[in-house]
Amino acid sequence: MQRRTFVQALAAAGALGGLPFSVGRSLAAAGKSGGAVSVDDLPPLEGDITLYLGRGEGGLYENVLEAIRKRNPKLNLQIRRGSTAALANTIVAEARAGVRRADIFWAVDSGAIGMVSDAGLARQLPADLTGQLKTGFRYPQWAPVTGRIRTLPYNTGRLAPEQIPDSVMALADSDFSIGWAPAYASFQSFVTAMRLLEGDKVTGDWLRGIKARAKSYAGELGVVMGVERGEVDLGFANHYYTLRLKSGKPDASVDLAFSNGDAGCLVNASGILALSEGDLPINFIRYLLTREVQSYLASEAYEIPLVEGVAAPQGLPPLDTISPPKVDLTQLADLRPTLDLMRSVGVL
Amino acid sequence: MQSLSRVRNQFGLLFGLFAMLAAGQVSAHGAVGDHVNDLKGHLDQYTEEVQWLIGKFGGVVDTYEKRGQKAADSDALAGFWEEVDFHLAIETNHVPTYASIWQGIYGIKQAIDKGAPVSAVREEQVELEHTLWQALGAVKLAAQYQEKGLLAEVQTTENEPTTMPATLEDIKHRLDRVVAKYAEKLPEAATTIVHDTYLQRFEGVEGALIEQDAALVEDLEKDFNVTLPQALKRNASVDDVRDVVKAMQVKLDRAKALLVKAEKDRKDVF
Repeated sequence: MQRRTFVQALAAAGALGGLPFSVGRSLAAAGKSGGAVSVDDLPPLEGDITLYLGRGEGGLYENVLEAIRKRNPKLNLQIRRGSTAALANTIVAEARAGVRRADIFWAVDSGAIGMVSDAGLARQLPADLTGQLKTGFRYPQWAPVTGRIRTLPYNTGRLAPEQIPDSVMALADSDFSIGWAPAYASFQSFVTAMRLLEGDKVTGDWLRGIKARAKSYAGELGVVMGVERGEVDLGFANHYYTLRLKSGKPDASVDLAFSNGDAGCLVNASGILALSEGDLPINFIRYLLTREVQSYLASEAYEIPLVEGVAAPQGLPPLDTISPPKVDLTQLADLRPTLDLMRSVGVL
Repeated sequence: MQSLSRVRNQFGLLFGLFAMLAAGQVSAHGAVGDHVNDLKGHLDQYTEEVQWLIGKFGGVVDTYEKRGQKAADSDALAGFWEEVDFHLAIETNHVPTYASIWQGIYGIKQAIDKGAPVSAVREEQVELEHTLWQALGAVKLAAQYQEKGLLAEVQTTENEPTTMPATLEDIKHRLDRVVAKYAEKLPEAATTIVHDTYLQRFEGVEGALIEQDAALVEDLEKDFNVTLPQALKRNASVDDVRDVVKAMQVKLDRAKALLVKAEKDRKDVF
C-alpha cells in the first residue's frame, strides 16, 4: 500500500514556502500533530480557478463550494460538473490534446483519481497538507476528502449480530438471503478490491455463491430498505444509507455489521487533486480538509472525516475500531477486469 | 399550402442557412436552430406550420374515408410532424403537450391501421387538432415569457442541477420526456430515461430525502424501479403511463417541499 512514505520524506518547511509565516507555522503545526486546521487559519483564496466536480452528494458539496465562494469574494471559481468517470476521461483527453482546463478535480470515487494520477497529471501535495489526514489515507498526489465504508446492513428482527460472520467471504457459504446491487458503482469497487486481495478465481466463486442466494436491487439505498422490510436477511451497502434511513426512521429494523480485514469493510474515499501549479489549487484543497468542512460533511452527509480530530458521523463506530483491508484506493480505477469477471459468472 | 418547403420559402434561404450555422444543441430529432431562442420572431411560421399539419393530417383521413385503408398512407403522419420547426418549439417548451401530439398522431395511425370506422378516426383527428392549437398557445405564452427574459435560453449543453430542489425539478422534466418517448413509440428510449434519471438524479437526493420521509422514498423507489418500467414494458396505454408519471410528479413535489424546508434548517458550513 502506497502510504506514509511521502510524509516522512518531505520537510514541511520547504513545502510551506508559498504561505505567510504565521499561516505556514499554523499549518505546519497541524500537519505535524495530524490535527484538523480551522478555516480561520487559512489564507484567503484569490484569483481564477476551475474545478471539475464529479456528481456527488446531491447538493451538499455545492453548499461547501458556495460557502467557500462567500468567504472568498476575490475567488473566481468556475465549476464543470459531470459524472466522475466522464470528467476523469475528459481531463486525460484534454491533456493528450495539450489542453488543461481544470485546475483541480474533486471526484466522488478514488478510482477516477487514480486514473488521472496514473496519467502523470497530478501535482505533488505539500507534506503539511497530507499530514493532516489520518494514517493510511496519506497519498503524495491526492487528498482523500471524506470516506465511506462497506458494511453489512442486517435485519435486526431476523438476525442477531453474533450470527453474522466476520468474513465477507464466508457469506457465500451461508444460508442467509442477501440483497445486493451488482450494477452499482460502489459495489463494483468492492468487487475490485476483493479481486486485488483474493484473486479472480476466489472472487468469481464468491460471486457465484452469493448470486445463488441474492436478490438484486437497482441501488444500495434500495438494498438497505429491502433489508429493513425483511425481504432479505442482510445486504451489501455503503454505511451512510443505513445511517440516513435510521435518521428518518429511528425504529427501522436494520443495523450495521462489519467484516474484518477484507473487502467487506473497504474504506473508499472521495478525493481531490491539483492539476495546475501555484498556491491557489493547493490552498483550495486545504479548505476541504478544514475542521469546519469535514464536520459539515460528517454531520450532514454522514461521510467519514479523514482528517485527524474530527468526529465520525453519529451511529458509526470510530474508524480505528474497524479493520479495513490494505488496498491502494487508486488501484480501484481499473474496473474492466471486474466487469468482465462479473459478466463471465452471469452477475451482470 | 401544399408543401412545407413553400412555407419555408417565406422566411427565406438566409434563415435556413443561418439556422444551420447557429445550430448547437442536439435533441432527439437533430440540431436545434436558433428559432427556439426567438419564439416571437417565428410565431407566424409556427402558425402556418400548424395549419399545414392540420391540412396534411386531415388529408390522410380524407383519403381513408374516400378510398379506404390501403390508399391512406398512415406512416406519413409521423413524417409530417417531424418536418416542422414547430416540433422543436413545443418540445423545448412544453414536453407534456409534445407527448400528447405524438399520442394523437399514433391515435389516428392505429385507428387507420386497424380499419376503425371513419367516425372513430375523425374523433382522433379532432383531438389531435385541439392539441396542436393548444401547443401553439403554449408556444405563444412561452414567447411572451421569453421576451420578458423569464425563459432560460435553450442551452447548447446540458446543465447539471446544483441543488436538491433543482434536481427534483429536473427529474420531473425527465419524466415528461419518458411520456413523450413512449407516445413516440420508443419504449426502450423511455425506459433508458427512467433508468438514467434514477441513477444520475434521484440517487443523489434520496439519501437526504429518506431522513425527512422514509415512506416517500420507498414509494418513489418502487415507482422508478417497478411501477413505471413495468408500465412501459407491458404496452400500457400512453394515458396509463402518463398517470404513473403524474403520480410520481406529485410525490416529487412533496419531496421538494420537504427538502426546501430541510435546507433552511441545515447548519452553515463555516
